[in-house]
Amino acid sequence: MLLKVENLVAGYGKFEVIRSLSLEISKGESVGLFGPNGHGKTTLLRCISGLVDARSGDVLFQGENIKNHTPGQIVDMGLIHVPQGNTLFPRMTVLENLKLGAYSRRAWEKRLENISRVFKLFPRLEERKSQYARTLSGGERQMLSIGLGLMGVPDLLMLDEPSLGLAPKIKDELGQAILEIAQSGVTLLIVDQDIELLLGLCQRLYLIEKGQVSLETEEEEGIQQQEVLEMYFGRVAQ
Amino acid sequence: MTIDFERIIAILVSGLVSGSLYALMASGLSLVWGTLGMFNFAHGALVMLGAYAAWYFSNPAGLGGGLLLGIPAAIVLIGVGGYVLYVLLVKPFVGRPGADLIVIITTIAGATFLQNGVQVVFGPRYKQLARVLTGEVRFFNTAVGFQDLIVILVAPTMLLLLALFLKRSKLGLAIRAVEQNYDSAQLVGINAGQVYPLTFAVSAILAAIAGILLGGLFFILPTMGSEPLLRAFIVVVFGGLGSLPGTIIGAYIIGLIESISGFFLTLYWAPVVLFAVLIFVMIVRPTGLMGRE
Amino acid sequence: MKRVRDSISKFRLAVYIAGLIVFIIFPLVADEYIRHIAILGMLFAVIASNWDLTLGYAGLFNFAHGAFFGLGAYTSGILAVRLGLSPWIGILAGVGVAVIVSAVVSIPAIRLRGIYVALITFAFSQLSVLLIVSQHTITGGLQGLVGVPSLSIGDFRFRDSRVAYFYLAGVFLLLSTLFLRRLVNSDFGLSLVALRDFEEYAISRGVPLSRQRFLSFVYSSIFTGAAGAIFAHYLLIASPEFFGFSFNTLFLSMLLVGGTATIYGPIVAGIALTYLSELLASLGPIRFMVVSVLIILTMRFFPKGLWGLINGRFTKRGSALPQFTDRAEDASQPAEIDTIQSQGSPSVEN
Repeated sequence: MLLKVENLVAGYGKFEVIRSLSLEISKGESVGLFGPNGHGKTTLLRCISGLVDARSGDVLFQGENIKNHTPGQIVDMGLIHVPQGNTLFPRMTVLENLKLGAYSRRAWEKRLENISRVFKLFPRLEERKSQYARTLSGGERQMLSIGLGLMGVPDLLMLDEPSLGLAPKIKDELGQAILEIAQSGVTLLIVDQDIELLLGLCQRLYLIEKGQVSLETEEEEGIQQQEVLEMYFGRVAQ
Repeated sequence: MTIDFERIIAILVSGLVSGSLYALMASGLSLVWGTLGMFNFAHGALVMLGAYAAWYFSNPAGLGGGLLLGIPAAIVLIGVGGYVLYVLLVKPFVGRPGADLIVIITTIAGATFLQNGVQVVFGPRYKQLARVLTGEVRFFNTAVGFQDLIVILVAPTMLLLLALFLKRSKLGLAIRAVEQNYDSAQLVGINAGQVYPLTFAVSAILAAIAGILLGGLFFILPTMGSEPLLRAFIVVVFGGLGSLPGTIIGAYIIGLIESISGFFLTLYWAPVVLFAVLIFVMIVRPTGLMGRE
Repeated sequence: MKRVRDSISKFRLAVYIAGLIVFIIFPLVADEYIRHIAILGMLFAVIASNWDLTLGYAGLFNFAHGAFFGLGAYTSGILAVRLGLSPWIGILAGVGVAVIVSAVVSIPAIRLRGIYVALITFAFSQLSVLLIVSQHTITGGLQGLVGVPSLSIGDFRFRDSRVAYFYLAGVFLLLSTLFLRRLVNSDFGLSLVALRDFEEYAISRGVPLSRQRFLSFVYSSIFTGAAGAIFAHYLLIASPEFFGFSFNTLFLSMLLVGGTATIYGPIVAGIALTYLSELLASLGPIRFMVVSVLIILTMRFFPKGLWGLINGRFTKRGSALPQFTDRAEDASQPAEIDTIQSQGSPSVEN
C-alpha cells in the first residue's frame, strides 16, 4: 500500500470539507477521483501534500504517517502534488520552472537528466525552453506543470484537474503522456472532471461527494465502470 | 560653453551618486516587499548600522582594523542583523490577519530602538568613515571626487551581483519562486520559513553596503537612516512595486531629478519636488514605472 | 429598577464631582515636576486619542499624525516669534494649518490600498521635516525655534502660574474627548467602523468611502494641531524632534498599548506612558528604547491593548483593529449596519 488515507477530517476555519474520508492506492496503480465541484477533491490533495492540516484521521505514505509533515518533507519522500490552475512561476522560463521542480534534495542532483526526459515526453516544451511561463498556451502550461511535478522524481504523482479547459486534441496528447508516465512506474492519483479520460487512464475510480467516498469501482474494466457512469450521471440528473 | 559643461558634469555626477545609493537601498526594500509583501521600516536603520559597524571596525577610536576589516565585518554583521530583525519583528506575525500593518508598527519600533541604541553606545556626535581613496580626478575642468566615482562604480556592480544571485543561485531561485507563487514554491519543496529570513539577510547586506558608501561621503549620525528610508520608499513606489529592474531604473531617475532640481531650484524646494513626484505617481500610476499588482 | 439606575447615576455624579475637586486641587499641592508631567501627559493623551480616529476607528494606516502635531507647533511658534502675533491666534492658525495639511494628505490616501497609505503618509511626514529644516531662516533649522512666548491673558502669563497650563490642558483634554466620543458614537463613527470591517458591504449600502475617510483625517487633526500649538507655547520652543521617529513612536505606543478604537485606552496609556517616559528621562535615549520594546511586546502578546484586556469581555465589539484579531470574533451582525442608515444609532462604547 503506497498511500493510505484513513478517516480523514479536514477543512478551512469553521468549515469542514472532508468528513471521514478513506481510500488507498497500491504501488504502480493509476487511481482516479471524480465527483461534483466543491466536494473536497482538491482539499483532499492539499491535505495529503501538507498544505492543509488534517483535523483527525491519518495519511500513511510508504507506511509512514505524514499527517503532520511539512510540504517540503512530503516532497522529499517522493509524493508530488501538481495543483489545479495557476501552478507555475510566471516570470521564469520553462527551463527555470523545471529546475525549480527539482528543488528537493531527492531530485536536485538528477535535474539535468530529468530535464531531458521531460523534454522527450513533451517536445513542445523543449521548443519553448527559454520562454517565460506566462507566455505559454493553456495546454503547454499544463504540460509544464506536469513536467514540474516529474522533476521531483515522484513515487506518487497527484494531478489535480490536468485536462481542465483544454481542447480535445490537447487532452489526448496529455492523456498519452500521462499514460507513458504511468508506464514508467510512477503511481498516479488523478482528479478530473473528464470521466472518460479517467477511465482511459485509471484502473480504479473513487467518487467523492460531500467530503466522503461514496463509490468505489473494482479493478475490472468495462461493464462495472459503465454502470458506475450511469449511476453517477443518473444521480446528478436528479 | 565650458561653464555649462562643468555644470552638466557636476549635475550628472551628483545624480549618479544619489541614484546609485538609492538603487542599493531601494532594491533591498523591493526584495522584501516582493517575497513577503511587507515593508520594513527599519531598513533605514540597517543602513545606519552598516555605517556605524564599518566605522567601529575600521576607525582607531573603535577596533582600528582599517577599512579592510571594517567593510567585510560590517556587511557580515548587518546581514546577520537582518536575519535577527526578521525573527524578532516579523516572524511572530506572519500569517496573522493584518500582518502588514503590524510589521510596519514593529519595524518602526525597531528602528527607534536601534537609532536610540546607537546613540547610547556611540554618542550623538557625528563620525566619519575614512575614505577609500582620497583626492579627485578632473573631467573637463570639473573635479570629481574619487569617493564619488567609487560609489558610481560599486553600486551597479553590487546590483549586478544581486541580479546574478537571484538568477543563478539555488537560493536566489527560491526567493524568486516564493515571490511569484507561494503555494507552488511550497509544493516544490521550498521552505518559505527559511527563505524569508534569508531574504531579509540579503536585503540587510544591500542596506549595509549603502550605509558604508554613505558613511564615506557624508556624516555618520544615529538619525542618518531616516532620509535614505524615505528616498527608498519613493523610489520603490515610483519604480514599481515588485519589479527590481523598475526600482533600479526609478532610483537613477529620481537621483537625477533631485540633482537637477537641487541645482535650479535650490535645496529648499527639493523635498517639495520629491513629494510632488510621489503624489503624482500614486494618483496617476499607482503601480509605478514597471510595477505589477 | 429605576431606583437602582438613579442610585448608579447619583454615584456617577459623586465620582465626577470628586474627580473635579481632585483636579482643581492637584496643581496647587503637587510639585513642579509632577505638574509638568501631568501637563505633558494630558497633551499627549489628546494627540494619541485623536490618532485613534484614523488608525483605530477608520483603520487607515495613517503615519502622518505626528506631522499634524509638529506643524501645529511650528505654525503657532513662527507666527508668534516672527510676526509677533498673539499665541491665541497662533493656536487657531495651528489648527488651520493642521486641517489643511490633513486634507491634502488624505486625498491620495483615500484612494489607495492600506499599505500605500502608510508609505505616503510617512513620506509626507518626513518631507515636512526636511522642509522645516531647510527653511532655517524662518524655522530655526536643526536647532529649532526658540523664544516662543507663553500663553497669556493681558498681563497674566500662563507660564508663571502654578495652575494655568494644568487647567488649560485638562479642559482641553476634556473637550477633545467629548468631541471624539460624540464623533465615534454618531452615524459617522459607525460608518467608519463599517467601512473598516465590511468595506464592500458598507459601500453597497451607500456609505461614502472617500468622504468618510477624508473627514476622519480632518477631524483627527483639529485637536492635534491645537495640542501642538499649546505644546510649543508651553515648552517655549518648537523643534524638528517633534517630527522624529522617537516622538512618533511614543505616540504610537500610547495608542497601541492603550488599545486602538477605544479612545479611553490611549488617554490612560498616554498619561501613564508620559509618566514612564519622563521617569526614564535621565537615561536619555534609553527611554525610547524601552517604549519601542513595549510596543513590540504589546503587538506580540496583547494586541488589543490594555483597554481591550480590561473591557474586551464587556463591550459587544472587541476593541482592536479587526486585523489584529479574528474577524469572526469581532464581527457585528450585518443587522447592526442597517441602523447606520436610520436615525438613532445604538451606542458603541459603555
